[in-house]
Amino acid sequence: MPEHRFRAGDRVRVLVDNPEGNPRTPKHIRGKTGVVTALRGTMENPLDHRGVYPPLCTVEFGVADVFGGDSTDKLLLDLHEDWLEPA
Amino acid sequence: MAHMHDFEAHVRAVEEDLEYYRTKRLEPRIMFLIRRGVIGFHDLLGAFRPGRERASDAADLEARIRAVEDRLDEYVKAIGLASTSEHVIEDTRKERGDYDPWFRIAKRHHEGTLEERVAALENELDEQMAVVQAFTTALIETGRLTDAELGYRRERAQAGPWNGAKIVARAWVDPDFKARLLERGREAVRELDIPPGRLGKLGVAEDTETVHNVVVCTLCSCYPHDLLGDTPWWYKHDGYKQRVVRDPRGTLREMFDLELPPDVQIRVHDSTSDIRWMVLPRRPAGTEHMNEAELAELVTQECLIGTALPGVPGRVHA
Repeated sequence: MPEHRFRAGDRVRVLVDNPEGNPRTPKHIRGKTGVVTALRGTMENPLDHRGVYPPLCTVEFGVADVFGGDSTDKLLLDLHEDWLEPA
Repeated sequence: MAHMHDFEAHVRAVEEDLEYYRTKRLEPRIMFLIRRGVIGFHDLLGAFRPGRERASDAADLEARIRAVEDRLDEYVKAIGLASTSEHVIEDTRKERGDYDPWFRIAKRHHEGTLEERVAALENELDEQMAVVQAFTTALIETGRLTDAELGYRRERAQAGPWNGAKIVARAWVDPDFKARLLERGREAVRELDIPPGRLGKLGVAEDTETVHNVVVCTLCSCYPHDLLGDTPWWYKHDGYKQRVVRDPRGTLREMFDLELPPDVQIRVHDSTSDIRWMVLPRRPAGTEHMNEAELAELVTQECLIGTALPGVPGRVHA
């Protein structure tokens, strides 16, 4: 089982494009920077995966960092690690 | 239908779940009622009808594994139908050996090839269905359970928001259950006789004094619907999906009449098919006198998504 590359607390940036990866990473979050809040391990998902994807992390983003404005509320997304790079 | 990646993991999961439900949910319950003279061994034996042999007509292993997974769900639902809510959580735990290993019912271990283990599961599920059916019949024949009650429970045994309400109410009254729910999700709901389903992980987001959680699926409409039933119509609507991520506070206020204090942070969880989220709302003030069943009545489908609070009538302007 593949190991996690990231740890909780790491700052990460979502790639803008990742043709090999899960195509379902939402467009509005691509290129944005957030913080890993939880590691979820590798998920077997026969319905939606093309094979086995890399481990999954929960990443927290500020609404303001993604869409602008002055909101202090947060967005949490569960993203596969191949979509993330250290920020 | 996509293919399973890992037969071993599926078979192991059914083995573990079957043993969990047999040794923790069904057999301790039968013994509890026998020990207290509510039903007797004689009633059980009198109610026993030999199970229909369900020779598997599926040729390939994958289809047989799927069939035992479905049978396991039937078994779990049947246990739920036969469960009287009148004995308390503590009694159940005592009876099944949580506090005293002497009471613990021995688990079975499965060995052999995958084919042999699947055959063993098919066989055991037939046997276990016959046991739970005898138990149900015995409860009816001794007047402990009426046909009307059974019919009502059958309706409720379908996936629906009432499952979520049961989960939330239990988490409110039982901190140990809450801890397991937050940590392991689906695995914990087995304690409530709810089939845990197989649609990815269940994420549970807990509200606190300073945090309010909301669930959306911005891409499609992912939701733990195998557990909580179908979503409200607006959950699939762009009007909700696109707005709630851009302006969570305004969306809750304008679409749902839910005004949150400025010092409460809103956290919007984007559900995917890997992790499907539900909200664990806060127990409303002034409900200290209410029991678990009454508490569950306060929890609506909207509360599980985070667009309404328990005990407050929800609204939608979409």
